[in-house]
Amino acid sequence: MNFKRVIAVAAASAFALSVAVTASAPSQAAVNFCKVTDLKSAGGMDALVAAAKKEGKLNVITLPRDWANYGEAMDLFSKAFGIKITDDNPDGSSAYEIQTIKTAPAAKQPDVVDIGVSALNGVIGAGQAKLFANYKVANFAAIPSKWKSETGNWYGDYNGIIGISYDASVAPAPTKIADLANPAYKGMVALTGDPTAGQEPFMAVYAASVANGGSVTNIKPGLDFFKKMKDSGNFIATKATPENYIAGAYKIALTWNFNAPGMIAGAKAAGKNLKFVIPSDAVLAGTPYIQAINAKAPHCAAARLWEEFLYSENKGKTSTQLTKADLKVSGSKLFNLIRGGQNIFVSGGATPILQADMVAKKTLISGPTGFNVPSGAKVYQPTPDQQVDGKTVVSSVWPTL
Amino acid sequence: MPKTSSSLSRGSAPLWSAATRKALVALIALAPLLIFIGIFFLAPIGAVVIDSFRNNDGDFSLVNFSDIFKEPIRTAMVTSLSLASVSALTAAIPGGILAYLIESRGSQKLRRIVASISGVLANTGGVPLAFMFIAAMGAEGSATGLLKLAGIDIYGSGFSLYSFWGLVVVYSYFQIPMMVIVFSPAVHGLRREWAEAAMTLGASKRQFWTRVGFPLLFPSFLSATLLLFASAFSAYATARAMTNGTIPLVPTMIGNLLDGNVIFDEVNLAKALAVSMVVVTLVAMVPYLIIQRKSERWQK
Repeated sequence: MNFKRVIAVAAASAFALSVAVTASAPSQAAVNFCKVTDLKSAGGMDALVAAAKKEGKLNVITLPRDWANYGEAMDLFSKAFGIKITDDNPDGSSAYEIQTIKTAPAAKQPDVVDIGVSALNGVIGAGQAKLFANYKVANFAAIPSKWKSETGNWYGDYNGIIGISYDASVAPAPTKIADLANPAYKGMVALTGDPTAGQEPFMAVYAASVANGGSVTNIKPGLDFFKKMKDSGNFIATKATPENYIAGAYKIALTWNFNAPGMIAGAKAAGKNLKFVIPSDAVLAGTPYIQAINAKAPHCAAARLWEEFLYSENKGKTSTQLTKADLKVSGSKLFNLIRGGQNIFVSGGATPILQADMVAKKTLISGPTGFNVPSGAKVYQPTPDQQVDGKTVVSSVWPTL
Repeated sequence: MPKTSSSLSRGSAPLWSAATRKALVALIALAPLLIFIGIFFLAPIGAVVIDSFRNNDGDFSLVNFSDIFKEPIRTAMVTSLSLASVSALTAAIPGGILAYLIESRGSQKLRRIVASISGVLANTGGVPLAFMFIAAMGAEGSATGLLKLAGIDIYGSGFSLYSFWGLVVVYSYFQIPMMVIVFSPAVHGLRREWAEAAMTLGASKRQFWTRVGFPLLFPSFLSATLLLFASAFSAYATARAMTNGTIPLVPTMIGNLLDGNVIFDEVNLAKALAVSMVVVTLVAMVPYLIIQRKSERWQK
């Protein structure tokens, strides 16, 4: 190594050191954000925002932009706090999220996860709650106790109901699940995946069961219904994805309500007219998806700010409404200025976990019309235990449908 | 002092004989490859095999293997085996004929073109392949529409792309070109002189084929068919995209067990299924290797 280079390296590292010292010196020198368990121990919202901004990055995992309006949530968070979000494998499964936490190198670790109840049960059943960090968001008390761990290890975020997405050209337009067996729909009906593998198609089979005399404790009539539709040629075993819809592979699918607005917009851009209806013979609500912070999160402050953001009930500004001038205010003011995650889920058609609290506090915005539970409808929701039983039945019957 | 020198050399015999040294050098030269195979091939297989003998609590158990013979896995195994056999046979026959026609009748240029096209097609697979067929031959596909205009309603006659036979059709898209690639060298090795020799000795064309041509080509044909069998047996992404689990297949079942959102506690069962697939493939490959060795003898 020659002398010049030594000087250059020394100068550069001295400069880097001085930058690091001046940046971290003022407020939160003592706070280790990886151990922070609530906003108070973080030193307040201003301190949390400052620390998250300094990290500048957030790793999320398996969040499709269309899914429950996550695209808007990521855009708004990114724009407001200047935090770059990396979304690993957007179409991946909950199992992929857990596997990544267990096996991925430090840099590829997700900061936060959004997993199904079955995956959560898998983690808890294996005694692996330590995979997640304990953190109680500011609105923690308002989350129904059924859907959170007492220590803030995990909490539900939103859920959806199963509805019928259909191409406007379909005649007659379906209004209930029993309609799907109509001979006019031959070769048109699909599911979003294999019900032995995906939560959305699994719940669709539950919905079909309720519509055909079954219940949340009896999924068999749903399987019989699909068997009947397979034999008549109505049900086709292709995946109901936006690409397949645009290619004309199917015309009718059972999907989460919170994925429909995004799919409708995408279809419109491709020159298709997709519609959505909540079936009149079965309103089936899924169990909430679960949020948790990875114990090995590489960006501890950003992860906690993301959770505060997702559980915020603010009506506030969307990513397109937020101006450059807005960004100049303090961290806590900025946080209060932007729309909270719970209302972002609402505008995507999902039911936020804090809905009851939001109704009471009048913080709930109105979601898109026609995507939610019709007033007065009876809602069926299989509990996690009932799903364990349902899964056993489905995995033995579906492969021989 | 010749005496001393000879006794000296006898006393300090080289540490390794020439043969051992040669083997050692070869081993060092091979080391990178062996390490690579060890890390990326043998170690994962070893791990999968070990886990396949463990139950959910991590204890030694045969429960995963006994589950293979229970429903729904038994049906999946049977369906996978029949799909692989049917796909192999339905591709091997046209592919073999095609290879023969191109090798025996085609020009040098045509052979080169076919070889490169086959190379591309044989490697087309996964979700893109499924999507191509859905867009072309789905209920609303472009090819389906054209056939309908021509008065042929394939869906009206009971065909469905999302069925066992649909998969056979889709698989043939990469299986037939693969057959052409694998079988062409054998046809190429069938020398013109042999046919001429047979004719000179008074054999008819038919006699040449039944007594000489076919017996010579059959081992290669069989081994190529076994290769197609293994290829169809292990195909995963295409089947997954086109069946949504309604046709039980072992690879898609492994995928669901490992990467599903619904079943979470059967990872070791998935590994046992993987081991059983390795066993089936080995069983199919052993005759392939034996036949290959035999047919190489006359190709020299």
